[in-house]
Amino acid sequence: MTETETIKLSDYATAKGFCLTSAFWMMVATFMGLLGATELIAPDMTENIGGLIFGRVRPLHVNMVLFGFVTPGLLAATFYFFPRVLRTALYSEKLGVFTVLLWNIMLISAVATLLSGHSQGREYAELIWPVDLLVVAAFALVVFNFAMTVTRRTEPLIYVSIWYACAAAVLTMLTYCLGNVIWRPDGGALTGIPDAILLWFYGHNIFGLLLTPLSIGVAYYVVPKAVKAPLYSHTLSLLGFWALIVVYTHIGTHHLLQVPVPTWLKVVAITDSIAMVIPVMAFLINIWYTAKGRLGAIHADIGAKFVFTGTIMYFFVSIQGSMMALPQVQRVTHFNNWVVGHAHIGVLGFSGMIALGGLYYVLPRITGRPLFSRFLADFQYWMILIGVVGFTVVLTTVGLIQGNAWLNGETVYRVLPEIHLYYVIRAGLGLLIFSSALFGFYNIVRTIFTPAGEAK
Amino acid sequence: MRMTPAVIFAGSVLILAAVVTIVVVLPFYHTNQTKPSEIFRSRTAAEKAGRRIYINNGCVYCHSQSIRTLDWGIGAERIAQAGDYVADRPILLGSQRTGPDLSQEGGEHPDDWHMAHFVNPRYTSPLSIMPAFEFLGKKKLENLTAYVQSLGFRAADKRVKRQEKWKQRAIAAYEQGPVKNVQWIHDHLPAPWRKLPNPYPTSDAGLARGHKVYQDFCMGCHGPIGDGMGPAQPYLYPPPLNFTILKDRGVSGGILYYQIMNGITGTAMPYFKKHLESEKIWEVGNYVAEYFINQSDADTDDGGIDAAYEP
Ligand code: HEC
Ligand code: HEC
Ligand code: HEM
Repeated sequence: MTETETIKLSDYATAKGFCLTSAFWMMVATFMGLLGATELIAPDMTENIGGLIFGRVRPLHVNMVLFGFVTPGLLAATFYFFPRVLRTALYSEKLGVFTVLLWNIMLISAVATLLSGHSQGREYAELIWPVDLLVVAAFALVVFNFAMTVTRRTEPLIYVSIWYACAAAVLTMLTYCLGNVIWRPDGGALTGIPDAILLWFYGHNIFGLLLTPLSIGVAYYVVPKAVKAPLYSHTLSLLGFWALIVVYTHIGTHHLLQVPVPTWLKVVAITDSIAMVIPVMAFLINIWYTAKGRLGAIHADIGAKFVFTGTIMYFFVSIQGSMMALPQVQRVTHFNNWVVGHAHIGVLGFSGMIALGGLYYVLPRITGRPLFSRFLADFQYWMILIGVVGFTVVLTTVGLIQGNAWLNGETVYRVLPEIHLYYVIRAGLGLLIFSSALFGFYNIVRTIFTPAGEAK
Repeated sequence: MRMTPAVIFAGSVLILAAVVTIVVVLPFYHTNQTKPSEIFRSRTAAEKAGRRIYINNGCVYCHSQSIRTLDWGIGAERIAQAGDYVADRPILLGSQRTGPDLSQEGGEHPDDWHMAHFVNPRYTSPLSIMPAFEFLGKKKLENLTAYVQSLGFRAADKRVKRQEKWKQRAIAAYEQGPVKNVQWIHDHLPAPWRKLPNPYPTSDAGLARGHKVYQDFCMGCHGPIGDGMGPAQPYLYPPPLNFTILKDRGVSGGILYYQIMNGITGTAMPYFKKHLESEKIWEVGNYVAEYFINQSDADTDDGGIDAAYEP
């Protein structure tokens, strides 16, 4: 990898801003998750507090995780490595800081609108039109800053992390507009079956064209740096990148396999869901071979440890995902908590872990001091790992109970008592993850704001 | 391959455009001419307002509106067709079934059941984990009920009419006093069921199981002591039956079984044949008979051959 350590580029204000944004909203997002989980075991806990009913808390949780915690976390690391691998200053730190500000305004308006009962009612596209505009504006600023920095680079070769970051930003900006039907401010949706197809094209691209490429970009930066080895294969980088963009975008309809949409479209979605093995394994082989024999270095850096764990989760979530796209499997898994388990392995185990890893990797390098507490970060690592693995076990079990009971003719109502205990355990694990967000926030704030002399 | 900014930006955007053409634009032209299905009709103003409330309060995160070939349960009589959704903007298929599918919810229950259920779902369905919606206020709950009652369109309208027809008669009977009411209810049972005694013997274990079923399914309406004074009572008219008035009024095991299996359309009394299998229905019926009516015809010899398990 090409990078000059000597250039003193900037103060990384944008990266710092996104670090704080991510750390703060991770607390909000995980709290909302915990609240929702608790409501599923004690539904009258928030009786008559309209703003806090499950139906409003859940979309808030999901949106805050995606746009509050994970994306800003990944952007923090991205804004750090961008100037470094391109050997130039970021086009504009001022613009970057403004983006952070706009991003937070967007998040606050998302909280206010969703809790007060303003929603477009489409998963991952709940935010109402004015907030949509803020999202698009924020992404447009990121795209602009990225593009201008790339054109001003002094390093002739563009490293693979940059490909992913640029593609993620520009493609998400576009698919967000498309998926939210942004040209129709009154409701932001199409009508009938076409709406379902568009929604899941977009919904799946939130994972496929936003979280995944940003996460992969960060992993491609952090892992080779941490193990101090060149990337295993340029060819695999190319294959993984282009295959990701071609294949991932085709598979949204695997969310609609049991719905009357055209059969040929289902066939496309299923086939490409299996073909996802190509981009996934191209990336993973590349990263794992880079780190081969050097895992000690991964263990030594808490950031790299998070990131590497994220890549393992990526393996599991993708293999699981390919299986879930098979109609025979989906007869059991669709509509129940199996899918929620999958979502948590993906968004928390893979993207979330890598976002945190990115943060912990860049923070000492931005501030020029070690982390406030390496122990706390390590502790957080284990809390999240136990949380995600626990979620996987519990939610997969619940999903199997629900799915098989339904196939067997038991009503949804009848199955509720059978899953109660698992819901209790799930809320317990949620508490674990929420607590880890509190530790993380404290650690990150102390790292950024400790005066130079006080650092340990 | 050399990755320049142009290759990265233009390349990925071009690929996206090509894919959008294949998986969004083509299907759009394939599906946007879908003809309305035979049950489709447009929604009234109140139903539209109710749908808005449904969207804003996230009912869609717990309820699907999409019946599949492999489904049982509410609405499973009719598999979803593309033509059912032609007016749905946005479409509300849902992705989780924390609660049952609602595609064909219209007319499953009378309006008063929905009101009690929305005020607090535990009132009608003790095990429910659905949030209480009393905070929405009466007007919004009425619109929400109108929307829920329209799910299934024309098929729902037919069921809602049936509810309304029998509701009128049930109210008329109720207002003539308990004796006439019980008579009216029983008169509408097929004669063989009325005469059918409970052929199975009473056992402590069976009563304990009946008690459990009663707690999980019936208590919110009929009350812990079977007097019809459960928490749902203030919202229901006619109110839940007070079982204690049934003594010496010709009630049989067959009547209890039939009523629990089939429900009493027009009243809040739901059918339980989808929730409960045969043995559970006999046992909760006998529990009601033994504990609340204080009169049970269990183990009457009905002329049939005894079941193999009977002692
Ligand atoms: C936390 C998830 C959840 C949310 C949110 C939710 N429900 Fe439910 N709903 C359930 C569950 C569980 C049941 C089954 C138990 C019961 O009857 O209450 C149910 C049952 C129902 C039923 C009765 C179905 C039947 O005939 O037995 C209706 C109607 C209904 N919900 C409508 C709504 C509406 C309208 C909203 C939004 C205002 C809503 N639900 C929000 C979970 C939810
Ligand atoms: C949502 C409220 C509700 C629930 C839940 C409910 N019931 Fe009812 N039940 C009623 C109402 C209302 C009536 C009829 C009142 C009338 O018409 O006067 C009724 C009538 C009956 C009757 C008719 C008695 C007869 O002599 O014909 C039986 C038996 C009965 N219920 C048993 C049960 C059992 C057992 C359960 C639980 C498995 C149950 N009910 C659950 C509301 C309810
Ligand atoms: C090869 C890769 C993958 C495939 C083939 C795949 C497949 C699927 C399928 C088929 C579903 C729908 C399940 C159903 O509704 O029955 C699904 C849901 C989901 N997936 Fe994946 N997945 C993959 C990777 C990922 C990754 C990497 C993430 C996260 C970054 C992710 C996040 C999610 C989420 C959040 C949902 C839930 C959507 C909802 O709200 O219903 N998936 N996936």
